[in-house]
Amino acid sequence: MAKKDYFKSILTNGNFGLFLAALILFAALSIASDNFLSPYNMYTTGRTLSLYAFVGLAQGIVLVVGDMNLSVGAIGGLATITAGYLMDIQGFNGTVAVAVALAVGIACGLINGVITAKFGINAFIVTLATSFVFTGINFGFTQGYSFVNIPLSFTVLGKGKVFGIPFILIFTIIAFIVLFLFFKFTIMGRRILAVGENLDAAKFSGINSSNIKILSHALSGFVAALAAVLYVSRMGTAPPVTGQDWLIVSFAVAILGGTSLNGGLISAFGVIMGAAIMVMIKNGLVMLGTNVYWEQTYLGLLILIAVGIDRVRTIYNQRRLLE
Amino acid sequence: MLKVENISKSFPGIKALDSVSVEFLEGEIHALLGENGAGKSTLIKVICGVHPQDTGKMYIDDKKLVVESYIEALAKDISVVNQELQVFPRYSVAENIMLDKMKTIGKTAILDWKAINKTSKRYLDMVGLDIPPTKAIGELSVAQKQMVEIAKALASNSKILLLDEPTSAISESEIKTLFEILSGLKEKGIIIIFVTHKLEEVFRVCDKVTVLRDGKKIGTKKIEEVERADLVKMMIGREEKIEAFRAGAVEEDNIVLEAEGIYKEHKAEDMSFKLRKGEVLGFYGLMGAGRTELARLLIGEDRKQSGKVYVGGKEINPRSISDSLYKYRIGYVTENRKEEGLLLNSNIKTNVNITIWPMIASKVLKLINGKKEEENARRMVDELDIRATSINQLAQKLSGGNQQKLSISKWLVADCDIIIFDEPTIGVDVGAKEYIHKLIYNLAHEQGKSIILISSDMPEIIKLANRIYIFREKKIIGEIGEVSKDADSYDIVSNQIASYYV
Repeated sequence: MAKKDYFKSILTNGNFGLFLAALILFAALSIASDNFLSPYNMYTTGRTLSLYAFVGLAQGIVLVVGDMNLSVGAIGGLATITAGYLMDIQGFNGTVAVAVALAVGIACGLINGVITAKFGINAFIVTLATSFVFTGINFGFTQGYSFVNIPLSFTVLGKGKVFGIPFILIFTIIAFIVLFLFFKFTIMGRRILAVGENLDAAKFSGINSSNIKILSHALSGFVAALAAVLYVSRMGTAPPVTGQDWLIVSFAVAILGGTSLNGGLISAFGVIMGAAIMVMIKNGLVMLGTNVYWEQTYLGLLILIAVGIDRVRTIYNQRRLLE
Repeated sequence: MLKVENISKSFPGIKALDSVSVEFLEGEIHALLGENGAGKSTLIKVICGVHPQDTGKMYIDDKKLVVESYIEALAKDISVVNQELQVFPRYSVAENIMLDKMKTIGKTAILDWKAINKTSKRYLDMVGLDIPPTKAIGELSVAQKQMVEIAKALASNSKILLLDEPTSAISESEIKTLFEILSGLKEKGIIIIFVTHKLEEVFRVCDKVTVLRDGKKIGTKKIEEVERADLVKMMIGREEKIEAFRAGAVEEDNIVLEAEGIYKEHKAEDMSFKLRKGEVLGFYGLMGAGRTELARLLIGEDRKQSGKVYVGGKEINPRSISDSLYKYRIGYVTENRKEEGLLLNSNIKTNVNITIWPMIASKVLKLINGKKEEENARRMVDELDIRATSINQLAQKLSGGNQQKLSISKWLVADCDIIIFDEPTIGVDVGAKEYIHKLIYNLAHEQGKSIILISSDMPEIIKLANRIYIFREKKIIGEIGEVSKDADSYDIVSNQIASYYV
């Protein structure tokens, strides 16, 4: 590869751009604030990053097949109270609670997927409706009360650290390496990408496209529930309002991470970088002393910028192809 | 006069037009003739602003003409009758005709339906369509829709009328009406450009003909000055010689697939046929005649309402393409490679192996064996002579012919016993076409596969098929039991086929 081509490929490679953006942000925050690099801030930042990564993945994994999931937060909430209820009220151990919570997440995702794929209804409206159903069940069941008696042993993953690195971050990195391998080497992963790129062509190559869509929704539910379980482990409590602020985060992280809104493109590394950028921007806003009431505006703008970049990249790649 | 000068246009992997210059005169029907993929449609799309040219200029009466969108073309009195029907299915016929010139009552914003329906009725009468203008256009037949398209073009009173293969979906009597209309428009001094690949039509209705081949202009001739054989030579770059392959071996008594009374509303009416081992079975007919519709019922993409299909003597009911591939080993090469055949943003490796991932994956974790993927891709690139820089090249960067070979390769890799080829040489260059013909012949007669060849290309189907079923209006209307493979077979068989359309 010629030197110029090599340079060009770095520029057009979304992952490198993301890494660069994250690095610049990191440097800027380190200079702007004395606190940013403090062990405690790094520890909390790492933990939040982990949660954001999973929340973003829950969205990304349906975006990649050209759908969306507006109920990621509602599923997260339902999984949270499931785990909380089983440990607090029923006295089950963590393993059982986690297993059931994840199963609830998968079930919710399956409901979304089956209605969307089998009945051909737009995922937007389906998941909008189910998000209300799930949230309603959540509040109806809990009457708004949190489950607080979470065994200490359950919080080791969420609160523990080794050499200052939170366990939860290590867990996240391992999970995303597995995710990378999933999309690169497994039949399911490859089929999800194929369906996302061109549903008809995938179908006409013998892939059962609607089953793949259902699978993606189920995985989305699973990941949302996983994020919820990690949240409980981190907080040591299971409030029913968990997940209410996930929707915008999920889109921001997934899109910042280079997940294509047209489907067919997702990067494990990208989603992690998306989460990192997201968490640093939030961190930065706090340190700059911005008024918390304005936060939604910044998040919204951030998404618009991210989709703008995505669009520019798409057009640029199309132009390049024509040359 | 409309003059195009040194027009060039490229798409990824293909130079669709290469410095083409033509003059189109008022009061003339000017044919653009060429094989599939010669650049005819592209030139039309340049003139009407759908695909603005990369380089080159256009002039109307020596005034420079710039059209960068279809809307601009309409405003400059250029209108198009498209190959694909551009209609709004739920709108009425009148709305489709009058869409860009709806009348209102007085100066209000209220639509004057009476006037709209009355005006559109006038244009319907002109094209000989006896249907109420209030009918929803989705309820019309393909031929009727095509005539509505023509009525719409008439209604816009254009100075330049572009017709892109307008006869591909309509019947002989409708063709006659169309040609009468065109002659009338010619008298009015309109510039008419008529895209076709049918020589008969050129001689029937056109005054001049420009032949394109592989994106280049080969020549422009007055119709009186040119013979059929000259045009063919210009089109394909050699003498017309339908070189039939020698008759290949077929296992007469070994019926691998049999269909009995297949029926689905608006798609297939009581279709029955038999396919033998080692046979190339031709499905001949025009677009919309029911061939692709039948294929989709066979592979489980659509569900039949009645009728039975047997593979190897056992009744089958595939519920999806996945079923027909993995359970019954039936493959389907789509006519629509860009939309249904390929993952254009994926590489050759993925496009070759997509059908056999389950076969080359590990048992427990279902990890796909990357080495086997590479082997398969290399083998297919070699066997099918796919011209690519590497097996990691993206499908969209290949030329039309190589894309088509890639679209075929996934069924070869999957080792299907029965392969349905739907218009396998549409939009591919002459070289790739010959290659694909040889491939189909070898698959059937050397490897013992059974092939269904759907084609509206008469020379192609006569060259390859052992038997031909003839389709028209969702029915099988005839069968040519044994396609002669003698030197004069083309004339004999094409006459046999034509006799079904009288």
